Amino acid sequence: MSMLYGNERVCVQGITGRYGRYHALKMRQYGTNIVCGVSRNKAIKEIEGIRVFQSMKEAVEITGADTSIVFVPAPKVLEAATEALESGIKKIVIITEHVPQQDSLKIFKLAHEKKASMIGPNCPGVIVPGKIKLGIMPESAFKGGDIAIISRSGTLMYEVALHISKNSSGVKAGIGLGGDPIIGTNVAQAMEFVMENEIDKVVLVGEVGGNDEIAGVEESIKKGFKGEIQAFFAGRAVPKGKTMGHAGAIIEGFEGTIEYKERKLLEMGVKTFRKFDELFI
Amino acid sequence: MKIHEYLAKGTLFFHGIKIPTSKFYDSYVEENISFLPCVLKSQVLVGSRMKNGGVLFAKSRKEFLNFLKELTEKPIRGETPDGVLVEELVDIRHEYYVSLLLGRKERDLILCFSEKGGIDVEENAENVVSGPFDEIIKSVPEILRETIFRMKNAFESEDMIYLEINPLAVAGDGQVYALDCVMDLDENAFFRKTVHTGYSFPAEENPGFHFVELTGDIGIIGCGAGIVMATMDAVKMYGGEPADFLDIGGGAGKETVIKALEMLSRKGLEKILLNIFGGITSCDEVAEGILSFKKAHEEVRLYIRMAGNKAEEATDMLNLFGINCYDNVYEMVRSCLQVGDEYALR
Repeated sequence: MSMLYGNERVCVQGITGRYGRYHALKMRQYGTNIVCGVSRNKAIKEIEGIRVFQSMKEAVEITGADTSIVFVPAPKVLEAATEALESGIKKIVIITEHVPQQDSLKIFKLAHEKKASMIGPNCPGVIVPGKIKLGIMPESAFKGGDIAIISRSGTLMYEVALHISKNSSGVKAGIGLGGDPIIGTNVAQAMEFVMENEIDKVVLVGEVGGNDEIAGVEESIKKGFKGEIQAFFAGRAVPKGKTMGHAGAIIEGFEGTIEYKERKLLEMGVKTFRKFDELFI
Repeated sequence: MKIHEYLAKGTLFFHGIKIPTSKFYDSYVEENISFLPCVLKSQVLVGSRMKNGGVLFAKSRKEFLNFLKELTEKPIRGETPDGVLVEELVDIRHEYYVSLLLGRKERDLILCFSEKGGIDVEENAENVVSGPFDEIIKSVPEILRETIFRMKNAFESEDMIYLEINPLAVAGDGQVYALDCVMDLDENAFFRKTVHTGYSFPAEENPGFHFVELTGDIGIIGCGAGIVMATMDAVKMYGGEPADFLDIGGGAGKETVIKALEMLSRKGLEKILLNIFGGITSCDEVAEGILSFKKAHEEVRLYIRMAGNKAEEATDMLNLFGINCYDNVYEMVRSCLQVGDEYALR
């Protein structure tokens, strides 16, 4: 995941939809440099002073956009993201949920090939309080401070951010990775961002399934991360359903359980908590 | 979404993978069978079908009819079968295990392979090699490769998220057959309608929330999967049992809240927790839904926690009608279960 400087030139894909429009304006209000929007809706040329183009190519050529945030409906995400990456966008955040997993994989591979950063899909985006908001999070829950939050869950990131803002030393960056099995930025890559920004306090908000949290922490320690990580996991009470019954069960087995993740993280010096309101107090 | 074996086999066949001569029965009929000996397989989605009497082998017409009658009627591990798939018995020389899935960590197509396929593969997990498709395929016996490439093609073009063929068998005639399979389709890709599975898509029925029924007695409603799971965990931590997982999502309005509460109360739940963090959701709209429900259902005890967008307005509104709100989720859960903080199992 690449650095966020706050001066990114942001294009909103799907700006004429209900959410796209609402969040484009909210982000602009926050101070994000929204330079344009893209929509297939030919009738709308402008939204409250934001120019609306019909193609990413045109948008990039005319406005110099280098970053995109995607709100288009799931069936159109592959097309929209491909167009953005082919047009030279270097940072792309995909908010849309219900994107087919194989589409996410194709976008990831293309982003990798184009050396672009991808966050999401099915994520709340990224916020660096006081600098930039590239997402849909309620900004009031993110008071500026020195702690990074890395989360697979959107609403839980808000919960933890509110707690950190109220009872701890505030948020340096909120990174919502997304809840899908295939996501563009994983924990390891989010930790690279943390290290580049010299943040030494991290909250990891995880969920049952997969082992991305373990792999991510392991890799960051190998790369020399010396700070403190505290973790909270949701989904302990989720019964092993039909999906846990087979998908990757043979290679994952016990490794997707929270008990296992917590044990491994503890071995790496990560403190884990059963209540999120005990993080960093 | 996992689909039944007989539909999955049809898909494999469409993609050029050999399956035994077969016939599907959705109910019992007295008729002659043209291939014997045969195997009769109950079409259920639960695992361990064989170990639970869902697979029977018939050598004669009489046996075939008896077993067909038995399997069309018999539930397997509580699941009523969709029908019975009857297949000609293949003369098996060797059984392999092959599966394809999308690797979360690798973000690539993963191939899992074992020389020792069959029903006990999960107990012999150490024999399974797995990794990116292009690497693992090199160590797979030549005779299987064409079939596995066809599996890959089926997997990609039909938007699968999991495909397992076990056993993938080499028969006495030197041919490779898919004898049993598990196929999981990505529901998010149904809009493409490219699947050749014969699966009939359910009519769009969107209640506006995501619901999973569980076995406990404490109703749970929240906005966002993470919050709902964390609330379930809190209930369990303090000794309670969640009755459900119900996520009304972001931006839910009054009607969705009423619908969700109505549904849980119809299940006879006496205590329902609502954990709302207003991001896009406006807490006052949720509160309106709660009030409207409460008027009709005085007997249901509601425990409400609100934070975020318009939480104060919502709390004031609810307080006015004598409904208490908590601003901390753990406090809400303790109060609902009437336990102190020391109860938390650490």
